[in-house]
Amino acid sequence: MELRGWDEFEIGSVLFSFNEKVENIPNVQQEDRSYSENNSFQASVAHWRVEKPIFNVDHCIDCFFCWIYCPDSSILAREKEVEKKGEKIMEQSMVGIDYVHCKGCGVCSSVCPTDPKSLLMVDEHDEEERVLANWPKKEGKEK
Amino acid sequence: MAEKMELHEVEVWDGNMAASHALRQAQVDVVAAYPITPSTPIVQNYSQFLADGQVDGEFVMVESEHAAMSGCVGAAAAGGRVATATSSQGFALMSEVLYQAAGMRLPIVLCVVNRALASPLNVNGDHSDMYMGRDAGWINLCSYNPQEAYDLTLMSFKIGEDLDVRLPVMMHQDGFICSHTAQSVRALDDDSAYKFVGDYIPKNPMLDFEKPVTYGSQTEEDWHFEHKARQHNDHMNSFPVIERVFKEFKELTGREYNLVEKYHMDDAEIALVALGTTVESAILTAEELRKEGIKAGVVSLRVLRPFPFIQIAEALKGVKAVATLDRSLPGGALGMLYNEITASLYHSEHRPLVTNYIYGLGGRDMTIGHLKEVFKETKANADAGKLTVPIQQFIGLRGPKLTFY
Amino acid sequence: MTEIRWHSRAGQGAVTGAKGLADVIAGTGKEVQAFAFYGSAKRGAAMTAYNRIDDKPIRNHEKYMRPDFVFVIDPGLTYIADICLNEKDDTKYIITTHLSKEELLKSKPELEGKSVHVLDCIKISQETIGKPIPNAPMLGAYIKVSGVLEIDYFLDSFKKVLGKKLPQKIIDANMVAIKRAYDEVN
Ligand code: SF4
Ligand code: SF4
Repeated sequence: MELRGWDEFEIGSVLFSFNEKVENIPNVQQEDRSYSENNSFQASVAHWRVEKPIFNVDHCIDCFFCWIYCPDSSILAREKEVEKKGEKIMEQSMVGIDYVHCKGCGVCSSVCPTDPKSLLMVDEHDEEERVLANWPKKEGKEK
Repeated sequence: MAEKMELHEVEVWDGNMAASHALRQAQVDVVAAYPITPSTPIVQNYSQFLADGQVDGEFVMVESEHAAMSGCVGAAAAGGRVATATSSQGFALMSEVLYQAAGMRLPIVLCVVNRALASPLNVNGDHSDMYMGRDAGWINLCSYNPQEAYDLTLMSFKIGEDLDVRLPVMMHQDGFICSHTAQSVRALDDDSAYKFVGDYIPKNPMLDFEKPVTYGSQTEEDWHFEHKARQHNDHMNSFPVIERVFKEFKELTGREYNLVEKYHMDDAEIALVALGTTVESAILTAEELRKEGIKAGVVSLRVLRPFPFIQIAEALKGVKAVATLDRSLPGGALGMLYNEITASLYHSEHRPLVTNYIYGLGGRDMTIGHLKEVFKETKANADAGKLTVPIQQFIGLRGPKLTFY
Repeated sequence: MTEIRWHSRAGQGAVTGAKGLADVIAGTGKEVQAFAFYGSAKRGAAMTAYNRIDDKPIRNHEKYMRPDFVFVIDPGLTYIADICLNEKDDTKYIITTHLSKEELLKSKPELEGKSVHVLDCIKISQETIGKPIPNAPMLGAYIKVSGVLEIDYFLDSFKKVLGKKLPQKIIDANMVAIKRAYDEVN
């Protein structure tokens, strides 16, 4: 970011999220928003990652715990066709990880309530297909 | 829509009531308050106006003064005209948020009813709270009587909200001696008062959903200095706006206000500098002494912040000796007025002799008799051409005479 | 400049009385000031309130006063408060008491030879307003002793001042109390 002089910025140390006026912003996906350079969307620390989360859709119950807890807003939720009571409807669902922003902290995996987990932390260089093929089995409640 | 109030040509209001009516007439959107003596009636009267349908704003009772100023910051950032009142310990508890309000450039109006700071606990008037907050980055206006408390509270909105200023404003009045003293007040009618203050112009309001904005950002070594410098620059350059508002007010009411007030200074040989109600008592004293042939004058800072560095030296140009009267005792130092005014006089051509008197702590009475003594000592300094008394003395203090330097 | 000092107990309405008087006098075009000494006093504690009245704006903010009038609205304070403090040669005293003037002077020799006026504000207020609130009767006595205003003018303006805050029945009772005090003070 360019370091500007004292007379070159907005008073009150306020920061604007977007470069232009926006409309209906909650219904616009991140990749379609014109974030300003001051928005944390522009400040990725993904290179820090040594472990990455892998998402397994087969176990996910769309509880969005991971979405709420992720400190870098890196859980991607999108409209998706799902089957409910035999009917196909569109619903917000967990679809995967934004690896451009994910810093690999593992919070999402630790809060995921399913058994087995729907998110697993693995080595950064591991292959997604290999991990999915070797996904752990149900553990059951500890007695 | 709130009902208008019919006011008499002359109302008998104390300083608190005067400030309450100014808040009412300015049509404040939000008052977030935690009442404290002696400023309590300002927000109490306001809440009464609200209950009686005479204002449209919101009154938010919070759990502390820290929360009161935080509520004001939130409401001002959201985009509303905001005001509250406090004193003493409440002011101290607000202090963290005072700096935040100034840094976020939110034009909140704070009616400060000056009161001593504990310990020992004391509900009466002195300027300890004013002195404590003077570096917080707010514009500070000082009044001497209920009429001025009314006038300057109205003007506070217009000054702070000006788009070239955009800073919060404190309007000071002396606890009890002004806040609880009823005097004749000539107020504007509701329409003229509101027209003078004008509609509130939001700047970067959080409630503008087309332009989402973050208030209270963190800046570290790479940005903080520039932001504070910008704030200081705009503060220092607010003099023309303050003077313009004073001028517009005079055109409307005939009542004149200046950055630095001068009384009987044209031919004055000695001068006394003070703040608050003492200024008026000092004017009376000067008038009495003039009958005895002593050329006494009085100077006061109407605007304490930004500090009128040039104007104060200009006002004291030509006098031989000056006494600065501080109604607060900065711990371990000379009085604030002494230090700041001496600094401005250091660069003047004829440097007058300057002394410092601490007086009136915890509401101790400042009598005309005391003021005469100060003038007479100052006259002795002027006649001798050098200091004949120690630099720092104490007025109306019991026990052995206490002096420094 | 006329200066008045009220001796009262916190809760007897001296501040309200002083402000009410200021309100009425302001209506005649004069400048006024009304204030009190506050501490964290509880109800019943001795306190003082003050009025200043002048033709030009009042700029004196000292609490020190050499009063032209001293009002004592609680009978006991004549003996326990320093009611003669900073008096002038011609200070006028208006004192509430159940005693006659002669009896009062005998019990308080310090007042001998001074301009002293007495009435029983407590009794008057009890019998008219129904409560021992002696502030309004004292105003009636002041109007008589000072002669600053016609009693009818005073009653009329004071009615308007009270009208801002009180129900009609109480206002009427206050008017009776003030008129009685005006007639009874001597
Ligand atoms: S690993 Fe951390 S940063 Fe990455 S998606 Fe999970 S919670 Fe977010
Ligand atoms: S916490 Fe687990 S189950 Fe819940 S939405 Fe995220 S991945 Fe799916």
